[in-house]
Amino acid sequence: MSDVAIPAAAAPVAARRENRRRGGIRWLHLLMAPLALLWMSPLIWIVLTSLKTKAEVFDPNAGLFPAVFQFGNYPATLTVAPFDTYLINSIIVTGSILASQLVTITLAAYAFARLEFPLKKLLFSLFLLQVMFPIYATFLTNFVTVRELGLINSLPAMIVPFVASGYGTFMLRQSFRQVPSDLSDAARLDGCGHLATLWHVYLPLVKPTLIAFGIISVVTHWNDYMWPLLVTNSDGVRTLPIGLGLLAKADSGADWTRLMAGTMIVVSPLLLFFVIFQRRFVDSFMHTGVK
Amino acid sequence: MATVQLINVSKSYDKVETVHDINLNIEDKEFMVLVGPSGCGKSTTLRMIAGLEDITSGQLLIDGRDVTDVAPQKRDIAMVFQSYALYPHMTAYNNMAFGLRKTTTLAKSEIDRRVREAAEILHITDLLERRPKALSGGERQRVAIGRALVRQPKVFLFDEPLSNLDAKLRNRMRGELKRLHQELGLTVIYVTHDQIEAMTLGTRVATMSKGHLQQVGAPMDIYMNPANTFVATFIGSPEMSLVHCRAGAGGLIGHPSFNAEIQTGQPLAGDVILGVRPEEFSFSARGMARGRVERAELIGAEAIVEVMLDKDRITVRSPVSDAPKPGSDVGVNFDMRRARLFDARNGQAIASGI
Repeated sequence: MSDVAIPAAAAPVAARRENRRRGGIRWLHLLMAPLALLWMSPLIWIVLTSLKTKAEVFDPNAGLFPAVFQFGNYPATLTVAPFDTYLINSIIVTGSILASQLVTITLAAYAFARLEFPLKKLLFSLFLLQVMFPIYATFLTNFVTVRELGLINSLPAMIVPFVASGYGTFMLRQSFRQVPSDLSDAARLDGCGHLATLWHVYLPLVKPTLIAFGIISVVTHWNDYMWPLLVTNSDGVRTLPIGLGLLAKADSGADWTRLMAGTMIVVSPLLLFFVIFQRRFVDSFMHTGVK
Repeated sequence: MATVQLINVSKSYDKVETVHDINLNIEDKEFMVLVGPSGCGKSTTLRMIAGLEDITSGQLLIDGRDVTDVAPQKRDIAMVFQSYALYPHMTAYNNMAFGLRKTTTLAKSEIDRRVREAAEILHITDLLERRPKALSGGERQRVAIGRALVRQPKVFLFDEPLSNLDAKLRNRMRGELKRLHQELGLTVIYVTHDQIEAMTLGTRVATMSKGHLQQVGAPMDIYMNPANTFVATFIGSPEMSLVHCRAGAGGLIGHPSFNAEIQTGQPLAGDVILGVRPEEFSFSARGMARGRVERAELIGAEAIVEVMLDKDRITVRSPVSDAPKPGSDVGVNFDMRRARLFDARNGQAIASGI
């Protein structure tokens, strides 16, 4: 109960109401908890399997929990494949894509939102068209381009095709158009050119959109499997998902305990990232209406 | 010294001219109000002075310097927007300091001094660390004015700064603006559609309609001697009544509802419109014109009565005690010393003060 003074007669009523409200929340919890558990179950399964022995995985008599936690699976996984190299590669690839995308979509979106130039409508339609094409449709031409550039089997091969984003440009353009034009007029009077206006006025105001886009981009490219698989063939440039895939297809059949340990290694950076910035993420998605 | 001269300034969008050939001189320390209905080109004119819109043809001089093609921040002006246009992610302090940091090389301490001085003048010292979201409409307005003040520009431009405020606050801010203008000796160009703001704030008022400048003059001068029927009906509330008369010989005018022809005291060519303000009418049993009361609004201290004189509707301001009932026949007298005549063909004033 709050310590606000309540008239004596009203106190029980207020208390009852308070109880009912709390009761409602409890019911909600009862409903949400199983859903949360359902959502968590694959993750829990992965963690448990990664801590079992190979025999336990297939033993129908073994319980859900491993008899002895086999933490040794993790270092063992790391010896099967150079996961540290994969991790660094993944970070470089995902980070470079995000950084260059933020620059390109910001500039393109500003141009589409606030500048007048010939063929603007046509160009923007082409951008939208690019969003509608399934990414696999462009794989072949992209592959040829990357090969012509002599980039096959290198980190840039996984970065270059994604330095711009039609989707991001579209998203950001919509946000920029929401910014009142009086603000950019005020910025002009305050001595800002286009770039300064963009930096001091537009970008701070569309931060939620930038964050939402950043999450989508990071998750997409961190988990991307097909394209990196196509353009890499040596350990030195592979990313985490590829390394994981190799583990699953080991000649001796899948080594489930190590595979699950590897999976944990792959997803944990993203999970950690999400837990730390949870509040921000949720706010951003609520704000931009992206799902 | 800060003067602004518009010489034959025009604005076209896609070859369609929206502002036509404006010639206007704004003197030093003058409070010039541009007033007109929406779409009359007053905001476009202001934005051309600010440099936010290109001037299609003509010349703009600020303090004698030709700034027709000069970038906005180099014109030595500051502007207050209708929407305030405060940067939402910056505190009031930073909103005010931002322009100084961008356009000048002033030391941090000097910027701080100017911001605090402006805040002092506008009574917003306590609000400097707040963001616009945490400020009320009136407070935002003050910050927006503060942002203009710290720039210490030659000319202040206001674009309908009070129209987003409620009536009471608008009244207070109007007084505040008047005080700032007088105490600080500012040169102001102020755009509004509200003729009461124009009358109370302006040292001179420029009335615009359809992209043309209609009349420039002191508020009372415009009120008493409007140059044409547009200015006559736009300035003043309730608006001036226009009575369509036919002109007779020797300066006499007649109307179906007049008992006799009225002597105007000057020769007339063609038909004329008699312009009479509501306070220039009075009810009298033996009034010179007769009409039927359509509507009577008692608004407290006085009554606003609408009377049909044949096909012309006139508005009469009268004491509540004299207000006739709707539907009754009344006699109306005109104050012919103050009534004015307009040419019925083009609406231009023939001569004021008959």
